[in-house]
Amino acid sequence: MKATFRFGIHPDDKKDRTKDLVAERLLPDEKVYIPLSQHIGAPCEPVVEKGDKVRAGDMVGKAKGFVSANVFSSVSGVVEGIVQRECVSGQKIDHIAIVNDGKYEEKNMPVLTNPTSQEIIDRVREAGIVGMGGACFPTHVKLSPNKPIKYLIINGAECEPYITADYRLMMEQGKELVEGILLLKKALQAEYVYLGIEDNKPLAIEEMKKHSEDLIKVVPLKTKYPQGGEKQIIYALTRLQVPRCQLPMDVGCVVDNVGTAFAVYQAVKRGKPCYERYMTISGGAVKNPKNYIVRTGMPYEDIIKRHEVTDYIKAVCGGPMMGLSLPNLNAVVTKGTSSLLLLTKEEIRETQPSACINCSRCHMVCPMNLMPMMIDGYMKKNDLEKAEEYDPISCIECGSCAYVCPARIPLVQSIRLAKKLIKERGSKQS
Amino acid sequence: MNKLLVSSSPHIGSSMTTDKIMKHVVIALIPACIAGIFVFGLPSLLVLIVSTGTCVLTEYLYNMLTKKPQTVEDFSAVVTGLLLGMNLPPTIPLYIPIIGGVFAILVVKMLFGGLGKNFANPAITARIFVMLAWTKAMTTFVQPIDYSQGFFNAMTSHFSTMFGGGVDAVSSATPLGIIKGSLNGGGGTISILNMFLGYTAGCIGEVSALALILGGVYLIVLRIIDWKIPVLFILTSAIFALIFYDNGIMYVLPTILGGGLLLGAFFMATDYASSPNTSIGVIIYAIGCGFITMLIRRFGGYPEGVSFAILLMNLVSPLLDKYLRPRVFGVARKKPFAKKE
Repeated sequence: MKATFRFGIHPDDKKDRTKDLVAERLLPDEKVYIPLSQHIGAPCEPVVEKGDKVRAGDMVGKAKGFVSANVFSSVSGVVEGIVQRECVSGQKIDHIAIVNDGKYEEKNMPVLTNPTSQEIIDRVREAGIVGMGGACFPTHVKLSPNKPIKYLIINGAECEPYITADYRLMMEQGKELVEGILLLKKALQAEYVYLGIEDNKPLAIEEMKKHSEDLIKVVPLKTKYPQGGEKQIIYALTRLQVPRCQLPMDVGCVVDNVGTAFAVYQAVKRGKPCYERYMTISGGAVKNPKNYIVRTGMPYEDIIKRHEVTDYIKAVCGGPMMGLSLPNLNAVVTKGTSSLLLLTKEEIRETQPSACINCSRCHMVCPMNLMPMMIDGYMKKNDLEKAEEYDPISCIECGSCAYVCPARIPLVQSIRLAKKLIKERGSKQS
Repeated sequence: MNKLLVSSSPHIGSSMTTDKIMKHVVIALIPACIAGIFVFGLPSLLVLIVSTGTCVLTEYLYNMLTKKPQTVEDFSAVVTGLLLGMNLPPTIPLYIPIIGGVFAILVVKMLFGGLGKNFANPAITARIFVMLAWTKAMTTFVQPIDYSQGFFNAMTSHFSTMFGGGVDAVSSATPLGIIKGSLNGGGGTISILNMFLGYTAGCIGEVSALALILGGVYLIVLRIIDWKIPVLFILTSAIFALIFYDNGIMYVLPTILGGGLLLGAFFMATDYASSPNTSIGVIIYAIGCGFITMLIRRFGGYPEGVSFAILLMNLVSPLLDKYLRPRVFGVARKKPFAKKE
């Protein structure tokens, strides 16, 4: 039996259009905009000024505090200044505008041939590496747990439909990826290291097994959403349940995405800070979907300009299950951007909710075993107390409940609201 | 640039919608309806049309008069109407399905808030209502049409009886009636093969076990109903028969094939709104349905107890949901997530 978690859903994976396309290097247009906040935590402080000459890999924003990550220029050229631009959430944040001179001169850090655990962690911090799966949590924080780590889990599940960025990475950079994973293992001094890959990517499983030489246990996972959820992949691979409101390290686990492991390899063995990543451009409205190696700071509209596009009504950054829908294409590629999807009217499901028929599908698919219909029911009655009894805080917001709901009720959205209100009330009381 | 739609994730969804679910249920009921019409002739078709029509019309008028959004297109009233009709004897006077249909939709469904809010299965509750009000009509069953002289002859005599005011149809005991009678020292024989195919006296939709199983399997394969409910319902009934009847092994098949057990287990007990929401709740519910059914059949006054059993367990399911909360992932088994201190 394949390793897996309980419950979950089986959306059409839609990866066929891009999975066999070798990632192309995508070079930005005349300008890039490096956001000073590409991570969870404090935004960076700008360390360049208008008129400064920078190379790709020059730090342009310095981390403020421990939970923060440096940001780097992705091109060589001249700093034009700090501008306010919309990020994916629609919020206006500071970006450093750099005029690209098209030469792509690089500034790399010294290569570390045989680094110690601490040297790896320091390098990860200097290189500004964050969770490349999309969460963007600064990786050096994860690498500095205050508890012993037994299992390092590398997430190659890529359970979101459409996206093939991690898949291409595994297919094209297997050897380097294995080195990166082993560096992470060394940094954490973990006993075991597992690489979980969904079994709809048999070639990637084979490829990674070939390179891992038994140093890494490559485990095929059942293809099921949300197999790549942190708590789900830990359970699938170790049978450990991360207790409610606790972190993976509380059960001796650290989970990192394959993209993160590759970034670690780049930083340590190539001296290259984090400003490049694999990304998929897909969705029904994109005639020629592609996988790219992109540089951060490139506006989405510059990418889409190079594609043949038909009518679309939704632009999604990230996967269709958990990604953000964008009001426009002004936002730029960041360290955490795994995909940009342009979806047609036929592909998306608009929510025009009808009455709950009490079919229990939402509960039956919930990977956390919650009862979304109860939470939603009480939220509709404005009864937060009752809704809280059904533990919305445990929700991982994977969206499986809303996906299956035959009455098209926006269930996960309702749970998000409950979580938000509970947190607000909590902060008011304290 | 196009105007972009901005909304919270997920952006995709499964194609299964409420009306599709209900349409699948209707499709699953069709074989049993056809079997009933074939076995009992035109009157059963009339009953099905009248009960379904009444249910749809009642919902339509209710929504219209109360100025609520129209909901008949979700097909749930069709399901209720069909199920009600299938639960009636073929020769029932037609005012009974009309009253039953109005009761099911108006009282049990719409007054409690419509689809998904009904505390009990509308068709079951309406059946019990008309059963208690018109017991004689509800317990008079006729012999199946005699096809031994060929289909054409059978139809000729069937129509001449109906429209020519000929002899009244011969009333007959159902297999369960015969079993009940035999418990009290009565006689009669039953044929397992006829029960399986549907060639016995009974309600329109319950006679053909084969057709019901076909429809039930269809719904299970499409994951529209939870297999646990029919399987445990039927299994519990069979085990009960094995234990509580003398020479119980002889009663296992008649128990499963007879009366409304299959119709109830596949199509009525599985009603979403009135069955529990959790796995453990569903297990207790299904076993309870089987147990109460057999308690009534074996020890009660009625030969049949499926409707009462389902209605009773319908009433228990909110309690099961309340007290048998599923354990949330990552919450210790011993201390279920409870109220904050």
